[in-house]
Amino acid sequence: MQRALRAGLTYHEFDVHAVGSGEEAIREAAAWRPDVILLDLGLPGMDGFATLKALRPATRAAVIVVSVMPGEKDKVRALDAGADDYLVKPFGTEELVARIRAVLRRQADVTAGEPVIRSGDLEIDLGRRSVTVKGKPVRLTPTEYELLRYLALHAGKPVMHTTLLREVWGAYAIGDKYNTRYVVAQIRKKLGDDPANPRYIVNEPGVGYRLEG
Amino acid sequence: MARAVTRRLAPYAVAIGGALGITAAIALVTSLASVQGLSAVYLLLVLWLGAQWGRGPAVAGSIAAFLLYDYFFVPPVGTFAVSGPAQLVELVVLLAVALVTSQLAASLRRTHASAEALAAESRALYELATAALRSPDVTVALSMLCRRAIEVQGVSRFALVAVDLGQATALAGGELSPDELKQASWSHENGRPVGIAIRDGVVEVMRTPAGATTPAYLPLANGVAVVEIDAERAKPDDLRMLAALTGLADLLLDRRRAALETERARGLEASDRLKAAILSSLSHELKSPIALLRAGLTALAAPQAGLQPDQRELLVDLDRQATRLDRMVGDMLALSRLEAGVQLEKEVHRFADLVGSATRLLRPELAAHDLAVKLPDDLVPVEVDEMQVGRVLTNLLENALEWASPKGVIEVGAAARGGMLEAWVENEGPPIAPVDLDRVFDTFWTRRARGSGLGLAICKRVVEAHGGTIKVENRRRGPRFTFTLPLARVPAQK
Repeated sequence: MQRALRAGLTYHEFDVHAVGSGEEAIREAAAWRPDVILLDLGLPGMDGFATLKALRPATRAAVIVVSVMPGEKDKVRALDAGADDYLVKPFGTEELVARIRAVLRRQADVTAGEPVIRSGDLEIDLGRRSVTVKGKPVRLTPTEYELLRYLALHAGKPVMHTTLLREVWGAYAIGDKYNTRYVVAQIRKKLGDDPANPRYIVNEPGVGYRLEG
Repeated sequence: MARAVTRRLAPYAVAIGGALGITAAIALVTSLASVQGLSAVYLLLVLWLGAQWGRGPAVAGSIAAFLLYDYFFVPPVGTFAVSGPAQLVELVVLLAVALVTSQLAASLRRTHASAEALAAESRALYELATAALRSPDVTVALSMLCRRAIEVQGVSRFALVAVDLGQATALAGGELSPDELKQASWSHENGRPVGIAIRDGVVEVMRTPAGATTPAYLPLANGVAVVEIDAERAKPDDLRMLAALTGLADLLLDRRRAALETERARGLEASDRLKAAILSSLSHELKSPIALLRAGLTALAAPQAGLQPDQRELLVDLDRQATRLDRMVGDMLALSRLEAGVQLEKEVHRFADLVGSATRLLRPELAAHDLAVKLPDDLVPVEVDEMQVGRVLTNLLENALEWASPKGVIEVGAAARGGMLEAWVENEGPPIAPVDLDRVFDTFWTRRARGSGLGLAICKRVVEAHGGTIKVENRRRGPRFTFTLPLARVPAQK
């Protein structure tokens, strides 16, 4: 698997450094300073989740979790433990490359402190608190704006329902996922997005939402 | 006989003797000093007599005291005559007070005796109950209870029968004949007591011909008490005790049932965990090699790998097959999970969101077709398991893609109807042969050579797990799959 991935990624002109265990990954992450770490949760030796938790303070690299576990609980757990994205095995090289590019783009945006975030025709100006679609302004309520802003700050990354509830409504709202579903439906309506075929805010089933990067 | 009479008369003798003794004592005291109101001393005797033996001796003592006091101390002394009204009043008061006192003492004695009987009864029950609850084996406790029950006067037999899944078995208190078991099971099934009943905490026995030993049957929540009782010999206290014992037996049988159910649930849980573990490891074992295949094939298919175009095409074909294999493994695992009885994680969802997730997953495939989504804006949310219903929509859309004529319309729609959400997926294309309409949801049935035959079977299972139904029909344009899902009980906010 490692060999196949290394070959695939090298063809797409990434510099790949492969290690065989969680402990080694943590050491190498500090020494080699990669931009993106692909972490298979089914590691021999040190548990994948434990490695993920240990990696977070050791590196600023984006972590994409790769796993054969099809459960949504595992995705949520991985995101909770600090993963930036996840990919369920089996996947093709194209799919993997697309995910890596997305996290790299987001990293670049964050570093540049870009105040305007774009997703297709949608433009969110964080400095002026304005939202436009194809240049036309969209009027959002404060809650709707806060939710969209949080998704925009993490554009391309899956954001969990619980995170949105905590960030937008505060600690006391946790547990009522229908809140986020309702507000997202309202935002989509105002953005002219079709919920049955969304362009901007997409569902991450069992997890939450993602603003297309 | 003579001794019994002696025993019965003794208290009266003591009453009269006591009254005489007190008279002598009063005479002695008054001869030494002039003391008034000594007649009250008689009351002490009366009180003691009442407490000791009840009303009869106390009344006898009262009358003896009245006569003796009149004769020896009320002037004219030495006669039963009374000289004046004052003396008469004194005598009448003495008699009245003595009688009232005797009455009070006797009722005190009765209350005391019945309180003691009650205390003894509850002590016996308490001891039995603690012993029963302490012993880990309920049947041991039930046997103890049965042994205690036949100590009750008039009860010659007390057996307990458990009824599990319509099967009656003797648990404690001795074996039962097949006929008796049948009778017990009938009594339990119909909730009808035979020959005996409990009313207001007392056992009521329906009279049987003298000498007949027919068992009576009393149905309990989880069993039957089989009792042989001689109603002539049993006193009210005994019948109350028997009722209390039966109540305790009822509780113990409940406990036995609860223990059985816990054990059964534990077994089921363990087997569920085992199934889940096997499925999860199977999923890992099957998917890992497919993952490797796909990673390798897609890596080599990249133009940068430097292979010839026809070689790359072959790799793309192989990757497509690997993807299919992955989907079939996924379908098989999903189906076995559903059959193992998966727990639905129901939440309130907008149906449009579920459609959105499914169409996004199939976006590349759907791009070649015209997708028409017909969802009313004010559609009531549904309460479903997002992942499972997502699978239904994906499978139905894939099926539609498979059968849609080139560039044909695929329609997804929904409407609230009769308290449920009715949703459909329809594709423009050839109809399904009428003979096949009933079979499309069967496991491993497929119209095409390359299908797994599981996709629609999964749809049916998921929809039915949600309490809905799924069907297929040929419409003018092509086949339409229609299924129902439960609407959310709480309407959307605002």
